[in-house]
Amino acid sequence: MTTVDVAPEVYGYLLALADDEHLMGQQHTEWIGVAPFLEEDMALASIGQDELGHAALLYVLLAGDDDRAVDALALGRDPADYRSCHLVEASGGGWAFALVRHWFHDTAEELRWGLLAGSTLTEVADLVGLVEREERYHRRHANALLDALLDVPDAAARIGEAVAELLPLAVAQFEAPAGEAAVVAAGVAARPLADLLPEWRHQVVERFGAVDWEGLATVDQGGRTRRHADFGPLMARMREVYDLDPAAVW
Amino acid sequence: MRVYEVFLKKDGKDEFRHAGSIEAANDELALLLARENYARRAEGDRMWIVDRDDIVVGDDEFVAPNADKPHRHNDGRRVAERRRAQREDRGSTR
Repeated sequence: MTTVDVAPEVYGYLLALADDEHLMGQQHTEWIGVAPFLEEDMALASIGQDELGHAALLYVLLAGDDDRAVDALALGRDPADYRSCHLVEASGGGWAFALVRHWFHDTAEELRWGLLAGSTLTEVADLVGLVEREERYHRRHANALLDALLDVPDAAARIGEAVAELLPLAVAQFEAPAGEAAVVAAGVAARPLADLLPEWRHQVVERFGAVDWEGLATVDQGGRTRRHADFGPLMARMREVYDLDPAAVW
Repeated sequence: MRVYEVFLKKDGKDEFRHAGSIEAANDELALLLARENYARRAEGDRMWIVDRDDIVVGDDEFVAPNADKPHRHNDGRRVAERRRAQREDRGSTR
């Protein structure tokens, strides 16, 4: 795998995608051992591993083959240098929270990766097929659980609460990363993320029913430079082993 | 919840083999969970899942009595023994 030499705007754009995949993967894997039933425990952790894999593909493109450089990029940055969105940084919540976030994230990821399918950056375009195949399956998994649970009144009520809580964060997934205009102008991404919102909103309404889009609280991510309050503890959990010896080779 | 039996097959000539069972609320969830629990390490390329209630079962009463008919087990051992004895017999008189 070659490292891509790209403009800072493109670097930041790809980093945003990688950081989202990375933190989402971590959040999913934290359900191992405590998901509602054993088989799902395995399924969600496996999906989390897929997401970590997508993040790793991008981190390697940006940092090169050296394991320590990849680790440093993935785990060693200052919080302000991450480009993740608040949806994947927020912790806590029960199973409904995890499931709804899983759906919100994977539907958005599928659309976002689609912007890169014809990228002028061929190293990135080459990843799209693999990633999209897995994201399609992730979406199918989330939909199958939601199909079953939305028929049960108690479960449907909990899912409704999670949707209301998470929607403002989910919409913020489409906030433009700094320098997006340059990324689109260079043909690295086909269109701005904001162009995906109508399609994504349509999917949300089809899945969960009508939404008062104008009435949603706004989330200030500062162009993805401002971290959610849960980011610190999340990163501390992620760095628990890394901090023992940042120079270790695995 | 329903119980499903899971079968996997590798591409090529191998037959479908029983991989295990999975409990799930419906067919779609059973497929998805079986994939993660039995095929996530590429144990197979194709999968069948069968609702256990849809399996036509032959019970012990019905199947087991055939185990008690040794005359149907033609493994050739007795013929082979007799022929060996005849050969040795001829050898000793020569």
